[in-house]
Amino acid sequence: MTTEQSSHKNSFSSEWLWRAVLPIALVVLLLGFAAVDRSVLSPANLLNIAQQTSYLALFAMAQTVVILTRGFDLALGPAVSMVSVGTALAMAGATATGHDPSIVVLAGLGTGFGLGIACGLFNGVVIALLGVSPFVATLGSYNIAIGVATTLSAGRPVQGVPKLFSQLFYGGSIFGIPAAIIITLAIGLALHLMLSRTVFGRSLYIIGTNPRAAAVAGLPVKRILVATYVLCSTLAALGAIMMTARTGSGEPNLGGSLSLQAIAGAVVGGTSLAGGRGGVGTAVLGALFVTILSNGMNLTRIDGYIQMVVLGAIVIIGVLLDRLRLERRR
Amino acid sequence: MDLDADLKPAEPLLALRGISKRFTGVRALDRVDLDVHAGELHVLFGENGAGKSTLINVVSGTFPPDEGTFHFGGEDIRHLTPQRARSIGISPVFQEFSLVPSLTVEENLFLGREVTRGGILHAREMRKRATALIDELGFDLDPSQRVDDLSRAHQQMTEIAKALLGRVRLLILDEPTASLTERETSRLFELIARLKSQNVGLIYVSHRMREIRALADRVTVLRDGRHIRTLDAATSTDSELVELMTGRKIDLLFPTITHKPDKVMVDVENLTLADGSVRDVNFHARAGEITGVAGLVGCGKSELIRAIYGIEPIVSGTIRIDGLPYDFPAPRRSLRNGVAYFPANRVAEGLALSRPIRENASMTVLDLPAFARFGVLRQAVERTTIQRVMEQLQLRPPNIERTAGALSGGNRQKVMLGRALTRELSVFLFDEPSVGIDVGAKLEVYEFMKRLVEAGAGVIVVSSELPEVLALSNRLYVMHHGRIAAELTGAEKTEQNVLASFFREHLVAEVA
Repeated sequence: MTTEQSSHKNSFSSEWLWRAVLPIALVVLLLGFAAVDRSVLSPANLLNIAQQTSYLALFAMAQTVVILTRGFDLALGPAVSMVSVGTALAMAGATATGHDPSIVVLAGLGTGFGLGIACGLFNGVVIALLGVSPFVATLGSYNIAIGVATTLSAGRPVQGVPKLFSQLFYGGSIFGIPAAIIITLAIGLALHLMLSRTVFGRSLYIIGTNPRAAAVAGLPVKRILVATYVLCSTLAALGAIMMTARTGSGEPNLGGSLSLQAIAGAVVGGTSLAGGRGGVGTAVLGALFVTILSNGMNLTRIDGYIQMVVLGAIVIIGVLLDRLRLERRR
Repeated sequence: MDLDADLKPAEPLLALRGISKRFTGVRALDRVDLDVHAGELHVLFGENGAGKSTLINVVSGTFPPDEGTFHFGGEDIRHLTPQRARSIGISPVFQEFSLVPSLTVEENLFLGREVTRGGILHAREMRKRATALIDELGFDLDPSQRVDDLSRAHQQMTEIAKALLGRVRLLILDEPTASLTERETSRLFELIARLKSQNVGLIYVSHRMREIRALADRVTVLRDGRHIRTLDAATSTDSELVELMTGRKIDLLFPTITHKPDKVMVDVENLTLADGSVRDVNFHARAGEITGVAGLVGCGKSELIRAIYGIEPIVSGTIRIDGLPYDFPAPRRSLRNGVAYFPANRVAEGLALSRPIRENASMTVLDLPAFARFGVLRQAVERTTIQRVMEQLQLRPPNIERTAGALSGGNRQKVMLGRALTRELSVFLFDEPSVGIDVGAKLEVYEFMKRLVEAGAGVIVVSSELPEVLALSNRLYVMHHGRIAAELTGAEKTEQNVLASFFREHLVAEVA
């Protein structure tokens, strides 16, 4: 019994150490960039970082939900492009037929979330019911979504996003806090409550830790997995809508490297690709880290292609750290 | 033996002394001795996990022993590798095939020892030799066929042919007849006889009594990685062998359970599973008594209760729970019908190790309104309920927020048992309930079952530990090869009767 207890205590203290690493790294990173360029710490830039983080945090949360169950969603980026194009096309169409601005926005939201849910259902059914691995399944839907987005938009930005839409999801603010930050905070809080307080959230952790035990204990594993991918894509659709509001047009290339960035955010934050570990906090911290890194690299004029190298390396380092942590536990 | 002293027995071909092998803390072999003489067929006998596979892997150089000495042909052998073993004439045929599926039979035979002339493959020579060998073995094999086009039986023949290519002094056969037909088996037996007459030594792993009777000169029984005894096949009886193999006389006080058999809670008719592990089984269990299921590893006893719970696919047959037909069983529906299953492998199928004890114990009740309303967990209720349950089960220390992975085997089983106390249940299916837990925890598990039964529940215990099922059960089924071999009650419920029924079918098969 004593050995059991002491090992428990050990893992407990090292767990706190692990948690402290990332916030410390964040501060060091900020100070490091500030040493090169003072403007990094200016209030305007900090707000800018917060706003940029809010998009990536949303996508990292979406990834975290599926990563918790030992999956991931490579198609998240293209789904964002698809939703952006679909939303803009629906709104342009509704405007052209002379509808009210509020109806136009509703049509856009309906189309955007509809596409997101469809994409999630597709992934979830292929993975959970047909038993295809998340990698292969979402690599397939990655290409499908790119194809759909490019075909619908003919490869060009879709104009005709109404002012009201941009106002709601980008321009607006409450007490000076931009809409994107408010939306992400609200979603983050809701998701956190869902993960920690609901049967669904609990099930995600149990399935990710031991899917076989979850099934033997009677949890509806397949149904939950489908719902998880739907949730992931729905959150991605919301992010796509917010980004479309920002650019003011439907962009077939909007999602570009988002899949990897979102996975990077989740993994760097401490979400384990082995499943069952992570949450809203890790997603937000990871997104903050990735955003500060790219913001700092932009301000210090590090080449964009070099930034891709750094991002790729970050994912791999994050995964290695995760494995190190799992091994230390044993 | 004394009588033979003046005959000066020849030195054994293979002599192992005190061989031990550990795998990450598990002692797979514990100071095992083994002698195999030239021209002798030596059977290794034991349950799965007894150490037979490890031993033949040591002999064939797959992994080195941690300690002990290894003599072959009078020479002290150290640092044996599979290549070296083959070159000195040790040739293994494992159950897992070592064939390359995309190559032909012939290419596989000569893999790594291709016949070449000036660096170029000498195909004609290899074809000739392969054909000659296959003819000699009497196998119906086409050397030019790809291995992945062959049936399992033909792959087995290829594997045997591969082992016999070149000079062989010790042949190791691991359950070679498992996928062969009668005719192929008798061919193999003829071949074995021929090899013996050529002074080849054989190590033969098999569970099949009939084969042991037909082939063996001597039998070495292994159990839990230890050498139990080596017997002369001619003078030993079947039941003696099986007793040595399974018989674990633990001096453990089983609780006295008062059985009051009541209505039939589980009724199974003509049940057959998709993988054939259970065939045409009729079985029932009553409330108020423990129904035991005994049998060797792999006889289908676990699969039977797993199918009732809904985690093994069923092809035909009917299940009734408390008199009502139960079609298409699934875990959650089973729990709602009052049936709980406690898996043998608690790490793989029971627990989410990095999650807290609380979540592990409440995993099976998340569908109940008492624990969640409109999908929102009632965490206060959960905490107090699980705390109370775990205190009742005397979890030490009683902290339900620790991870399940930090617990010992006995405490992990208590977390599983905790699930039995969190919802209304009437049937409890225990699969190897005392595997991997210490004696003290075993007693607590037995006491727990006693309380369940005496409170009127139906309990089914599946166990490979014969003394355990004998002592706990009021009625005992014995399974063999996926079928019920016997149903024993009262005075018939003895170790001898159980052991005898392991072999009844063999005898019937032999007569037929």
